[in-house]
Amino acid sequence: MTLPGRTAPTRRAPKQAKATGPARPPKPPRAPRPPLTGTPAVTSSAATMLAVVCLWVFVQLLLLGDLEHERAQDLLYGQFRTEVASATAPVGPVVPVGDPVALVRIPALDLEEVVVEGTASGDLRVGPGHQRNTVLPGQEGTSVLMGRAATYGRPFAGLTGLEPGDTIEVVVAQGTRTFTVLGVRRTGDPLPQPREAGVARLVLATAEGQGRLAGLTPGEAVYVDAEADDAFPAPAGRPAAIPESEQLMASEASVLPLLATCLAALVLATLLVISARQRWSAVLVWLLASPVVIALAWVTTDVLVRLLPNVM
Amino acid sequence: MRGGTRRATAVALVLGLGSVLVLAGSSSTGSAVEPDARASASAPAYSETKTLQRVVTKADGSLQEFPAYTVTVTADQTTDLRGRQRIRIAWKGAQPSGGRASNPFGESGLAQEYPVVIMQCRGVDDPGRGEEQLRPETCWTASFAQRSQITRSDGEAAWRHDLDADETAKGRVSGLDPLPGADVCPTADIAGYSTRLTPFVAASGRVFPACQADQMPPEAAVGAAFPAAELAAFTDLDGRGEVQFEVRSDVENESLGCNHETACSIVVIPIVGLSCDQPSSPPTASDNACRRTGRFVPGSGNFASEGVDQAVSPTVWWSASQWRNRFTIPITFGLPPDACDILDPRAPTGFYGTELLAQAALQWSPAYCLRKDRFKFQHNQMSDEAGFTLMENGGGAAALVSSEQTRVGTDPVGYAPTAVTGFAIGYVVDKPDNAGELSTLRITPRLVAKLLTQSYLGSDLGRGHPGMADNPLSIMQDPEFVRLNPGLSRINQEVGATLLSLSNQSDVIRQLTDWVTHDPAARKFIAGEPDQWGMVVNPNYEGLALPAAEIPLLDDFVPETGNTCRQENPAVYFNQIAAPVTTLRRISEALLDAHPNVQTRCELDADTGLYKVGRIGRQSYGSRFMLGLVSLGDVERYGLKAAALQAAPGKFVVPSESSLAAAVSLMEPGEETLPFTLDQAAVRTSSKAYPGTMVVYTAARMQNLDPADAAKVAQFIRVATSEGQRPGPGNGQLPAGYLPLRRTGVTAGLYAAAQDVATAVGTQTPPASTLPDPGQPTTGPGTSPEAPTTVPDAPAVEEPPVAEEPTGAPPPVEEDTAPVAMPATTAISSRTAGLLLPLLFLGGLLGSLAVAGTRFLVRPPRQG
Repeated sequence: MTLPGRTAPTRRAPKQAKATGPARPPKPPRAPRPPLTGTPAVTSSAATMLAVVCLWVFVQLLLLGDLEHERAQDLLYGQFRTEVASATAPVGPVVPVGDPVALVRIPALDLEEVVVEGTASGDLRVGPGHQRNTVLPGQEGTSVLMGRAATYGRPFAGLTGLEPGDTIEVVVAQGTRTFTVLGVRRTGDPLPQPREAGVARLVLATAEGQGRLAGLTPGEAVYVDAEADDAFPAPAGRPAAIPESEQLMASEASVLPLLATCLAALVLATLLVISARQRWSAVLVWLLASPVVIALAWVTTDVLVRLLPNVM
Repeated sequence: MRGGTRRATAVALVLGLGSVLVLAGSSSTGSAVEPDARASASAPAYSETKTLQRVVTKADGSLQEFPAYTVTVTADQTTDLRGRQRIRIAWKGAQPSGGRASNPFGESGLAQEYPVVIMQCRGVDDPGRGEEQLRPETCWTASFAQRSQITRSDGEAAWRHDLDADETAKGRVSGLDPLPGADVCPTADIAGYSTRLTPFVAASGRVFPACQADQMPPEAAVGAAFPAAELAAFTDLDGRGEVQFEVRSDVENESLGCNHETACSIVVIPIVGLSCDQPSSPPTASDNACRRTGRFVPGSGNFASEGVDQAVSPTVWWSASQWRNRFTIPITFGLPPDACDILDPRAPTGFYGTELLAQAALQWSPAYCLRKDRFKFQHNQMSDEAGFTLMENGGGAAALVSSEQTRVGTDPVGYAPTAVTGFAIGYVVDKPDNAGELSTLRITPRLVAKLLTQSYLGSDLGRGHPGMADNPLSIMQDPEFVRLNPGLSRINQEVGATLLSLSNQSDVIRQLTDWVTHDPAARKFIAGEPDQWGMVVNPNYEGLALPAAEIPLLDDFVPETGNTCRQENPAVYFNQIAAPVTTLRRISEALLDAHPNVQTRCELDADTGLYKVGRIGRQSYGSRFMLGLVSLGDVERYGLKAAALQAAPGKFVVPSESSLAAAVSLMEPGEETLPFTLDQAAVRTSSKAYPGTMVVYTAARMQNLDPADAAKVAQFIRVATSEGQRPGPGNGQLPAGYLPLRRTGVTAGLYAAAQDVATAVGTQTPPASTLPDPGQPTTGPGTSPEAPTTVPDAPAVEEPPVAEEPTGAPPPVEEDTAPVAMPATTAISSRTAGLLLPLLFLGGLLGSLAVAGTRFLVRPPRQG
């Protein structure tokens, strides 16, 4: 799929070969490297492409994404802090998607995250998301937060380590509430008892893996239920349903056109690199093209991630 | 004879029902079609006989005696009454009335002679502890003119010579001591004129002087919510008379204040004329007035409301000589509808569904909520389908429906027969020339088809409707109706173009239309074939698909008219006439008040200067004509009249216990735990079965129902089919309008089915045959989206299960704190999420190795 990411390096081999031919005076000549041809050439190119694409995405999900998440949290924290202080923070029922709505602190996990509105895969890149048809955390009713377990800062990775009785502190526009964890719930476990009147329920939803690579294979949904006895009033008028893409483990198919655009941009970048290489020196092209291509690859991968399940 | 054996079976089964039906046999009261199971003439609830005589003192002090009348008054029901219930009061042996008014109710009934005054009063004659003494001051009238005589000249002050009155009552002003001042009653005390006040004492103790309209209780205001119930009824030349008297509870009339704790009475006073004391010499004008014997001959009418002789008019009912002639019918009221909400703090368990059960539920619910060992039963009325859906998705413990509903969930549902009742086409129709109310109305399916398809024109406004310009204006001008019901007025009224019906979905409509479509004539009419008089179906309804649970409003004809108001408010004319409502109860009340729901009144609102459309006024007594779809429970409770519906061609059947039983005997049992079905084709072969017979079922899930709810539903079915089937007006008893379900006889099959379902629901073990697919009892990843994970009773749980549902709104609803068995968390997983990262890493690794391989393994040989 992601052709462009790999075109730059693969093209290099034949180009170098061409370049060495006519103009390369100073270097002590080593034995000329005959270019690969035939099956080995194709195999080598394909393998290079595979490696670059896989590793790039892998690195972006685990490392670059982490960076992205940290930066977003930093900005969101500032924004939410200002809004709470100036009493403009949202209290529901309808909040624009992507706006910060709450701050969640879990002391047992040393976790502090700003929660944004919306649970689509793209929304969860910046931090935990609030399911839009539920009340905000701390308000009377059941609130659902989803967070990623393995990628993009993996905010909810340690969630399964919570014990009944642990506390979860939530700051929303109306104030602070401390929830007590009822327990971790996996497939097949009974749902918690019906919520009593006047109680705020919080459900943290994420995914977990199994076996030795548990941290890298978040395939099964897992929930943590928590309750606070004293709830804020919840405004009426929440949406009755949310789109398919905001359900647990759902992905956003709607980004395919955007992805196609990004890929086209990468192809264009590649063509530009090729044509630039025919006029300018390799160093210059490297210097100019690398940041552009890396940025494009980054953006493209970010879009690609939105096609993946939202809590992985 | 067709159906001979079936009819014989029906007769045998009917006889098997025993004495109840014999009692209910309608041959006793003369009006053979009265669907009046409770009007058993052999033992009326109240009966009393008195001898009434008028006595006038002559100038010499001797007494002149008028003929004595031995009057017997009976009432058919006196206990556990509910607000607006109508009871039948009949009398015989009374003096024939004269000067009959067209409308006997309230003030308009005053201009009559020798009528029978019937009123509702607070208190009883011999009060016990906590009861009030009955007196004229506690009797309700809707106007002050019915109780007070204000500023009368001497010739109109006959009461001042009442033989039985004490001296103070013979004074120039009397009734309230001291008399209210001129600020309250400016016209009461004017020298030279006589005044008699009969103040009204409200239940709160407040005294209303009743000297003018603003000194009356609020319920007596002009244009009050309810029309006057008290009346001055007419006695015919044989000395007999009969009325349906509507009682009012403190819900309708707080000032009168009758309820289950306050003793009340109905007072019946046959007016025989004032008895007079010794006249002065020469006799004064009032002495002469007291001796008058009436201007109208017995049996005559007084439609112009001319003056009558006061001494024999209903205005003097409070005078001592008339008051002593009263018949006091003590009545008691049942618990008010909100009794359970007040007396039982427990959370109610809602049963959702058909309104046919409303009157039974009213009497049943106290029998549940007032007992600690039972639950708090609550009947929430809604369409059968909505109730069933609510029950299926866990919103309600059980549904009350009258036919098999489409199941959307996976849990098997059992239908327990709970009550046998039905619908009726209620009517209020006056015979022309004040000859009283019509007591038999015959209706064919085709007439109903004509009404439901809006095929009558209503008025000249409808003539412009394309395709049906020659149709009759209304049913009273339809030759088919006239032939069946001769002797009625043919003067057109818009309301005669419609049958007031339900706007929402209901099994009642489904059965009504099923009855219609089984009639070939009705079917052809809807298909577009004109009837033999040339009437055609409204083109907008041609080919309407029936039976259906809902009658659509399909007409789109907006008449063109020069009327400014209608030009300002263009509307579909036939829909304004039809104006269906959402509950059967509203139709019953419209019939009770003879207030059609026709919305064609168009007038200028003086305050805003705008034209507005609204409901037409109440019909005037004597020319009432209205048809409405009602429940049999309401028919009996409110004393409505029910039309005879055609069963076999030419055979018209009124609802009664025997005709309901005959229809039940035609019902075919369904599959195990499924409802019985009444085939209208079979009804068409019977001359006794009532086509509107319906069975109300308690439908509940036989699996995955919360155990506590399951126990409640099973208890309800068992109690409702045993002690709930004892006929009577009391708590927990079965009101009139329902056929009791019994272990034996024609309802044996229904009874047995109810017990089976009660067991199946109570133990949550459905009969094996009803299980659709034993392999899929629990929910898993493969559960189909429309089979929600059953969340019992508390639709409260949260969203994770919802997350896999396309439309999962998590409505957090509170529930009680008892531990509840909760369903398991559904599996949500993603292979992509589970495998992607390792695969990416593996892919990267393999790619790198391959590159390295080609570089270091493939190249060297080439170099060499």
